[in-house]
Amino acid sequence: MKLKNLFSARNILILVLLAIATVIPIVIRDDNYATLLATNVLLYAVLATAWNIIGGMGGQLDLSAGAYLGIGAFTSGTLVLRWNVTPWAGMILGGILAMGLALVVGIPLFRFKIREVWFALSSAALVEVLRVAFTMWEEVGGPTERLLPYYEWSFYHLRFNTYMPFYYILLVMLLIALLVNYWVRRTKLGYSLLALSEDEDAAEVLGVDARGSKIKALLIYAFMAGVVGGVDVCIKGNLSPKTFNGVQSTEVAILGIVGGMGITFGPMLGAILLVSARELLRARLGGGLEGLYMGVYATVLILVALFSPRGIAALLQDAYAKIQARFQRKNNYERPADTPGI
Amino acid sequence: MIFQTALQSLLDGAMLGAIYALITLGLALVFGVMNVVNFAHGDFVMVSMYATFWVATLLAWDALATPLITFPLLFLIGIIIYYTIIRRTLRHSYVIQIAATVGLQYFLRASAQVLFQAQPKALQSSVVQGSFLVGNITVLNSRLLAAVISLVVIVLVSIFLSKTWPGRAIRAASDDLDVSSLMGVNYQRTYALSFGLGTALTAIAGGLLMTFQQVSPVMGVSFGLLSYVVLAFAGLGSTIGLLLSGVIIGSAETLTMAFWDPRARLLVIYLIFIVVLWVRPRGIFGRK
Repeated sequence: MKLKNLFSARNILILVLLAIATVIPIVIRDDNYATLLATNVLLYAVLATAWNIIGGMGGQLDLSAGAYLGIGAFTSGTLVLRWNVTPWAGMILGGILAMGLALVVGIPLFRFKIREVWFALSSAALVEVLRVAFTMWEEVGGPTERLLPYYEWSFYHLRFNTYMPFYYILLVMLLIALLVNYWVRRTKLGYSLLALSEDEDAAEVLGVDARGSKIKALLIYAFMAGVVGGVDVCIKGNLSPKTFNGVQSTEVAILGIVGGMGITFGPMLGAILLVSARELLRARLGGGLEGLYMGVYATVLILVALFSPRGIAALLQDAYAKIQARFQRKNNYERPADTPGI
Repeated sequence: MIFQTALQSLLDGAMLGAIYALITLGLALVFGVMNVVNFAHGDFVMVSMYATFWVATLLAWDALATPLITFPLLFLIGIIIYYTIIRRTLRHSYVIQIAATVGLQYFLRASAQVLFQAQPKALQSSVVQGSFLVGNITVLNSRLLAAVISLVVIVLVSIFLSKTWPGRAIRAASDDLDVSSLMGVNYQRTYALSFGLGTALTAIAGGLLMTFQQVSPVMGVSFGLLSYVVLAFAGLGSTIGLLLSGVIIGSAETLTMAFWDPRARLLVIYLIFIVVLWVRPRGIFGRK
């Protein structure tokens, strides 16, 4: 029985997908640009999966991925530039500082019960505030970008002459993010968050600790985004206040929504499908009319939002359930004894 | 000297704020009446500015005259967008509305890029030029005219909302959709009207902005956030409050630029925004 569960269709599918994801950079290793695109897709996938905890499960439409990402990037980047500290340590510290920011922002936001649109807008404003603040803070940020030292191949400095190592680092992070999602979903926190996203007032009446759950979810998300920021700065090779990117922050949330809010693999699916589509469109149409690829991408986003509001993952889940139901019906015909009354 | 700078900044801010209030009035019509969260409102301002640019260069008109064409044009665009996109999101949560309107935002920005390229565009200065002095304070004629026009339009819209039948239908639908439907208000048409009007109001704001500002495809985002800031400050349901909030936000912006750092403009505005949300989630002047 145990063994059968281990080799269920779902687990085999996961293994196959993981194998494909592992092989991709080896297949395209000669094309550094393609590797960068694949790395970029993974970056969005990690961010969207982390976002799923606060945004998907908790239903709090956070638009500040760029704020936590930027804090992580600046922690890691500044440490390596000033004191030659390895980004591996910078990443963790960046994640912790991002959690600190999440506490500073989250406690008053949730204390004053700022919800829905206003929560979304104030989190979007946070990204802009930090971008301006870091542009003005000349010692660390400043308007010009700071270049990270160049190394052919250095694990200590996390600098390589190819994007392939970053791909694998982000792949591991994606797996961790998925596991965290999977784990949170099955704990009290996950159930509280799901209840909050359905109806906050009703959940609170029934004894769900709204503030505590939301803060915890925000902290987990901020930590992951901060760590990703530490990698992001090494991928780009420069440190700039533009890392606090409002457009990117909004996009992370949109990918989560059209991927499937609250479904563990939904935001990842949304990010992989849509960011790949966007980059392919850019490669195909980018040479001709500037902005054309964006128009096609926007149309796809609108269509998914309008016609599959529960997300791409929910569509797949429905299809899977239908197939399963068909198989079960077949089994029932083979065992007429199980269906009394016919 | 400091006093004079402060007074000058306050005046400039107030004149700028009147335009902000006009932009926000369009958003309030959509958000307050239909309860639809429109993240593309700022991009309508951007589209309006491009429409102004296009009409002004094609017909050699002054920017101030372009709303004669751009107002109906944007109204039409608004109606089309309402029937193709917004109507389908009414049943869904605000999350889907945000996803759909962010998609719309990307679409509008991409269209502007395809049609006008990424370089900023500006018009030659308007017929209204020059300035005059009041004491030691300089008043730019173009800014003053923009503020006056904004004020007149805001007053006209509030008269429309309180005195005419379609306007009353809009307010009725905003107060209680079910009861107003029973009283014979066709909510689909009312919603289409308020979305179209909300969009068309940006045409006037776009025309006024083009008299002293240039336009680029990416500038919609900041107008979008800004109009939500003014709306959060004002709260829903008060036109005077909207105007005052616009003026306060505009003055905060110019005062920051004069006394601290031009770059800190957005910093101050968004900090005000966050503090207002904490302290008065229904806005300072809000009724609802």
